[in-house]
Amino acid sequence: MTPAISVTGLVKRYGDRNVVDGLDLEVHAGEVLAFLGRNGAGKTTTTEILEGYRERDGGEVLVLGQDPATAGADWRAKLGIVLQESRPLGALTVRETLRLYAAYFPHPRGVDEVIALVGLEEQAAQRAGRLSGGQQRRLDVGVALIGNPELVFLDEPTTGFDPDARRQFWDVISGLRDLGTTVFLTTHYMDEAQVLADRVAVMRDGKVAALGTPAELQAMRGDVEIRFVLPAGLALDALPTLSKPPLLTGGEVRIETTAPTPDLAKLCSWAEGRGLELEGLTVERPTLEDVFLAIAGDHAEAAS
Amino acid sequence: MNMLREQVRADLLAFSRRPETLFFTVFLPVIFLVLFEAIFGGQLVTLSDGTKVEQSTLQVPAFMTMGIISASFVALAITVVNRRETGTFKRVRGTPAPAWILIAGQVVTSLVIAFLMVLVMLVLGRLAYGVHVDAAHLPWLIGGVMLGAAAFSCLGMMLAAITPSTEAAPPLANVVVLPLYFISGVFVPVDSLPTWLGNIASVLPVAPLVTVLTWPYVATTDTPWRSLGLVVVWGVIGLIIASWRFRWTPRRG
Repeated sequence: MTPAISVTGLVKRYGDRNVVDGLDLEVHAGEVLAFLGRNGAGKTTTTEILEGYRERDGGEVLVLGQDPATAGADWRAKLGIVLQESRPLGALTVRETLRLYAAYFPHPRGVDEVIALVGLEEQAAQRAGRLSGGQQRRLDVGVALIGNPELVFLDEPTTGFDPDARRQFWDVISGLRDLGTTVFLTTHYMDEAQVLADRVAVMRDGKVAALGTPAELQAMRGDVEIRFVLPAGLALDALPTLSKPPLLTGGEVRIETTAPTPDLAKLCSWAEGRGLELEGLTVERPTLEDVFLAIAGDHAEAAS
Repeated sequence: MNMLREQVRADLLAFSRRPETLFFTVFLPVIFLVLFEAIFGGQLVTLSDGTKVEQSTLQVPAFMTMGIISASFVALAITVVNRRETGTFKRVRGTPAPAWILIAGQVVTSLVIAFLMVLVMLVLGRLAYGVHVDAAHLPWLIGGVMLGAAAFSCLGMMLAAITPSTEAAPPLANVVVLPLYFISGVFVPVDSLPTWLGNIASVLPVAPLVTVLTWPYVATTDTPWRSLGLVVVWGVIGLIIASWRFRWTPRRG
């Protein structure tokens, strides 16, 4: 199967700075790819090049088999785009908005079908300006789906949502995957990527710094963290020798280990032998958030 | 064609649901006509060739001009800037719709509104103030309204192209048109202006359109082809500057 998106050596310069600096990425047809990165990492610039809004300074880009820089209306008919900042016309109702956008496309979906897809049945006759933020964003997605697209771009679609609205929005995106639509989801929420994405790409310094399924990314940073409270009256050097030296912060012992089973076995038999209870013992794998923080770098660069 | 019909339908719907534009664009010129007729309607005005006409006769085409400019220049510029800054245009550029559909939607919407207002004032002038248009002059009036609305739509696109933000659009549009109404024979008869001011106004776009629309009502002079030509020239200037400076994406960011 040909990939939905294929990018090799993409470069975009603003002034003398390479905002995108040799980015390689392949998005498979039918998958949900989460595109992560800190603010200013070049996510929106990359996305807008893929959407055909911006020109690139170097590299090869194929989106649905065509170069976005030269592709025409027939190509745009196969895309659905949700921009980072756009609001539907406030004076039109949900139904009127979708009817207008349906007229732009050669083979649109039915207006009612799309209203059901984004869960706005009860708001169909309401003006867009009177919808909540989350409902407006769902209408945005509806507008992106009306043309029956093969590929949908979502640029930070849930920024500013309350938790409830985000879950409803996630249901809509999961529904898209079931329809076989390829989704390119730009986000800076890890939980969003973890719930929705088949694969995650993390952008840093204008390149893809890591790419894989959420589980693969988590495994990339294999360290498991063991924590417990240091038993009273004991010093750190009273502990048995472990695979990594333990650290002490505020009375709590922390061991970042790649060999959690033997380390735990040693700790437990050591404690049992002395009749000690290891208060507050926890064993934790790093979350995707921790992995992201490690890959994406510690501080934001200049804004995009 | 289906696409253009849906675009115009949506643009007209959106227009009709914004109370503030509806008031300033549609009702204000009509209210002004009614007020000015009540206050100055009976006064006699001497035209350049010596004929005397009642002020009421001149005020109908004068406020028709204001109506056309409200719809095609002021309202169009404000709407276009708003659509650009809110990302609506950018978003439509990401669909297969051709770019011209957005401009056509705005211009056709302006033409429809301008025509409706002219019709209201035509009927009001005839019934309430006994101001009469010779049937032989009706084609000229219709042509003048169409060309005037088209030319001011182009000027509206030009204004939109050079307006930086949504907030700046309404004051900018009004700063441009309000003084022009005063010096172009809309609010005040031209013969009561100092000559130099009248001379300046006569080469700007509003006064020629007033002349064009007044002629069917008081056909004492030759057909004002020169004024019609001036209106068209201003439209072309607007179109050139608009296409040079126009952009689809928000100015900020």
